[in-house]
Amino acid sequence: MKVINKITLGLVAATLLLVGCGSDTTPAKQEVVKPTITAESLSLRKSTLNNEDLKPHGTKYSDTYAGSGHKIKRAFQDAPPMIPHDVTGLIPIKIGDNQCLGCHMPEVASAMGATPIPASHFTDFRPATTIGKDGSVEKDGHKIKNTSSEKLMNVSIKATEGGKLYGGRYNCTQCHAPQDTGVLAVPNNFEADYTHADGASKSTWEGTKLMEGINTYESSK
Amino acid sequence: MSLSRREFLKSSAAASAAAAIGMNVPTELEASAATAESGWRWDKAACRFCGTGCGIMMATKNGKIVAVKGDPAAPVNRGLNCIKGYFNAKIMYGADRLTQPLLRMDDKGNFDKQGKFAPVTWERAFDEMELNIRKALKASGPEGVAVFASGQYTIMEGYAAQKMMKGGFRSNAIDPNARHCMASAVVGFYQTFGIDEPSGCYDDIELTDTVVSWGSNMAEMHPILWSRVTDRKLSDPDRVKVINMSTYRHRTSDLADIEIIFTPNTDLAMWNYIAREIVYNNPDAIDWDFLKKNIIFAASPVNMGYGMRRAGEKSVMPVREDGSAGKYTAKEMETYNHEMVHKVSANEAPALKAYGYKEGDDMVNKPAGLKHWEISFEEYKKFLEPYTLDYVAKISKGDPDEDINAFKKKLQTLADLYIEKGRKVVSFWTMGMNQHTRGTWVNTLSYNVHFMLNKQALPGSGAFSLTGQPSACGTAREVGTFCHRLPADMMVKNPHHREKVEKRWKIPAGTLNPVGNQHIMKIHRDIEDGLVKFAWVNVCNAYQDSANAKHWIKAAREMDNFIVTSDGYPGISAMVSDLVLPSAMIYEKWGAYGNAERRSQHWRQQVLPVGHAMSDTWQWMELSKRFTVKDVWGPYTLRNGKQLADVRKAAHDLGYTDDTTMYEILYANEEAKSYKIDMNSFPQKGYDNSDCSGDSRNVIGGDGKVVKGCGFMVHEYLWEEYASFGRGHGHDLAPFTVYHKVRGLKWPVVDGKETPWRFNVKYDPYAAAAVKKSGNGSDFAFYGTLAKALPYGNLMGVTNSEKKPLTNKAKIFARPYMDPPEVPDTNYDTWLCTGRVLEHWHSGTMTMRVPELFRAVPEALCYMNPKTAEEKGLKQGDLCWVESRRGRVKAHVETRGRNRPPRGLVFVPWFDEKVFINKVCLDATCPQSKQTDYKKCAVKIYKA
Repeated sequence: MKVINKITLGLVAATLLLVGCGSDTTPAKQEVVKPTITAESLSLRKSTLNNEDLKPHGTKYSDTYAGSGHKIKRAFQDAPPMIPHDVTGLIPIKIGDNQCLGCHMPEVASAMGATPIPASHFTDFRPATTIGKDGSVEKDGHKIKNTSSEKLMNVSIKATEGGKLYGGRYNCTQCHAPQDTGVLAVPNNFEADYTHADGASKSTWEGTKLMEGINTYESSK
Repeated sequence: MSLSRREFLKSSAAASAAAAIGMNVPTELEASAATAESGWRWDKAACRFCGTGCGIMMATKNGKIVAVKGDPAAPVNRGLNCIKGYFNAKIMYGADRLTQPLLRMDDKGNFDKQGKFAPVTWERAFDEMELNIRKALKASGPEGVAVFASGQYTIMEGYAAQKMMKGGFRSNAIDPNARHCMASAVVGFYQTFGIDEPSGCYDDIELTDTVVSWGSNMAEMHPILWSRVTDRKLSDPDRVKVINMSTYRHRTSDLADIEIIFTPNTDLAMWNYIAREIVYNNPDAIDWDFLKKNIIFAASPVNMGYGMRRAGEKSVMPVREDGSAGKYTAKEMETYNHEMVHKVSANEAPALKAYGYKEGDDMVNKPAGLKHWEISFEEYKKFLEPYTLDYVAKISKGDPDEDINAFKKKLQTLADLYIEKGRKVVSFWTMGMNQHTRGTWVNTLSYNVHFMLNKQALPGSGAFSLTGQPSACGTAREVGTFCHRLPADMMVKNPHHREKVEKRWKIPAGTLNPVGNQHIMKIHRDIEDGLVKFAWVNVCNAYQDSANAKHWIKAAREMDNFIVTSDGYPGISAMVSDLVLPSAMIYEKWGAYGNAERRSQHWRQQVLPVGHAMSDTWQWMELSKRFTVKDVWGPYTLRNGKQLADVRKAAHDLGYTDDTTMYEILYANEEAKSYKIDMNSFPQKGYDNSDCSGDSRNVIGGDGKVVKGCGFMVHEYLWEEYASFGRGHGHDLAPFTVYHKVRGLKWPVVDGKETPWRFNVKYDPYAAAAVKKSGNGSDFAFYGTLAKALPYGNLMGVTNSEKKPLTNKAKIFARPYMDPPEVPDTNYDTWLCTGRVLEHWHSGTMTMRVPELFRAVPEALCYMNPKTAEEKGLKQGDLCWVESRRGRVKAHVETRGRNRPPRGLVFVPWFDEKVFINKVCLDATCPQSKQTDYKKCAVKIYKA
């Protein structure tokens, strides 16, 4: 208990100092500031490095069943939504066995009470890569000099055939993850700026939005 | 819903058609910053995390990042990111960012190694660094000043650090965490090709028929490459085959046609098995025309140890009767003793027979260095003889519960897929093959198979080393931020290379130190031995990421030395340090990274750093102002007795005085000043540049005055000077500004054109020129120049020491299966493997501070087989101890997770400060590459 109090005090003192310095733009004369910040208070361990008897954080994902309607706010406009429900038995995702699609495909999502997979996931931005007869690299049938260019003609936007999910987005857990319900190790001061009223719950990443801002050379030269 | 989707499909079909006929997309689809909603400014950047090197689009508003999206124009990832990629948006905003330098001190304000931390000014911070560097130079010379460097440095930061360390302090004790991640790949490249980095590019994925992943959980570690593999697999599921080779089941297995679970280290045997299948059972598959023109065969010593401490080193003296030695316990020495003498095991005996060893023999280990020699094909064939299906299956089957015949069938199918005529094959690997006590060997073995089949350096075919970190290639390797390297594949031990660098840097001849042996583990060991007195943890987390961590932490905390960490957040290295510096993070500075397909990508400073944080480039420049010609360029005697000349007189001849600072020589020189600040033109216009012009925070700098910046475009200067080393030498980079206009370019960039497949005359102008010169009519030229003249011999050694040139040729190596130095026994009965998880980056300093990533995986679990758990009296969710000869940690048992090991192996990731697994891991390395083997040591598991 004593140790904890000390660490807390140290932290409070440190926070005051740091806040003070962070917002101050005039040079502060170096005064003797009493050293109060312990190494332990700086770390996520919150304990000495020699201590072996640390209890790991523990993991408690939501046990809400899929389809219960509970959702987690998107972190920012068009951020990938996190998984609000229990995934036991639903993963791993395998070839021919992706249970996420059973509820989240747009055709069925609203009936299932699930977040529909947005238009971006039915879009293939990758130009078809082939090798021409003379050995040259072709993208969407064009000989290319370099694979990178900001010219919009080099950006391919194709709707996937037959409304099939784009294969590159088949691994849902690559972007979407269940969330522990315990306390965070450290808070985060990021502030979202939703451009749409329903930005915390819905993707707008389709149509013209897909291309917004990509011509970074033209827009800043 | 369905209506809006139809509308979308319509509009995107139009765009696609427009692209198909080469027109610009209609203007209503073309958006610019001016039309972006809500005052967002979009700009391109590279992802902070893995070696894939995805492009991101980053939105800022009011000086803060507000969103990130996948960049549709970026060839690597085409509009898609992984979960870490998207959350680049939040990585700089953790509440405990370091905002002020912190120094350990006593109540009177004096530095006190045992004191707690208090905030200090930058001026005080540099005072302490200066004082302690002077002390270290005096006590130990240049070898006493060390930097733990990084594959996460921007290219310019790495170059700036290298200049001051090697040119200023004359110390080669600068080595990156990339040593831990791809040094074996590098030595593999050097020995095989004579030049670093892969032949292929990511387009191989779309062009291949077969992806074999060797010791690489691409699904989690290179998620976007995996998404490309997945798309390829789904687009032609019958033709495209995916094979996962691993010591435990993980997400990469989930999409694989075949999964091969093998015993740790036996990848050596399996590569040789495939080679044997080719040579003995499918000789028609060998492309002799290709081999004769382009390839020779080679061998090297086998008794080279395991990169651990050797007997006689200071900290393992004296050896006591109870088996303990110096600072190491008897238990630790049980493993360390293998470094000197190793008993040949039953598993090894067949493979080592041709080298004159039999089971039970003592193999006396000696440092072998990198030497190798040419042998005949017949000798190579003799070497391959023991790798029959029976032998290899017996030693490599990694799942005790799998049927041996089923396993053999898989190995046979694997070989057949490689050999099948007309089938393109890409072999990807990462840490499984690099973090390996025979890492260099196994890297070279991969090329053997591809070479014999002529399936290398071709679109859709090749052995392709994936790198771990975002700029392990760009910064660590290409800049040469290693103890033994200089830019563009030059070496500190080569006098011509040193001369070239000295001239370019305008420093006196003889300034550069020719002895470069202080790799990362050596720096730790040198601190423990009391030689290194000053160490700077710079853009890495050396005290969390190094194996056998307890020793290095104890040495740092309890010995007479001064440890500095500069970082965005306080991690374990900050805890261990005497001084902690607040660094500007990734998008708070201009930068560039180079990814695993040789693509260099730049970004502009998006926002101002927090608090008083400043970039690492700035920190190096500030430090350099504290040292003058007379301080650092006097004479030194190195520990091996070699002399570093007094070059102060020579400095005068170059126009410097005794009081000229390193800042004036290495950074703010006339050439540097020719790169102007130009806020009216692209790419600087509209973007902050804290290093060059200061910023509105008016941070007080190292001289106690407001930081106004260096006054020239230092990023462009560092880029152009660095690039000048590689231009015309196979490493050509484009001008600085070009990279701000495009989504990266794959070097060598010749006449504005990138190189997709190196060494192939169709795609690589250097190869074309080499073949034109040689006139041998080959389609390939492996034109690297390192180790390209060899003596001749047999498996046992050199028989003719006359060196024969091997211009334009690559090598196939005979390298046998051997055991790792620590194998499970009755007491420590389980293999431990460590690594990453998708949601966390390395030691977690950034990702543990992003709520979504933290909540996705809030702790490091001990993944184990349910039967292992049962054997140990454990169940899902229990706490267990994972204990090795070196230390122990407590973790929760996970028997149903994403990683599903066979019986006898556990996986514990290393991102979690609370589950400090590197206390448990062994600091054995590949003796050639000095890369640590984090993938295998022996532990016991019991209930906590």
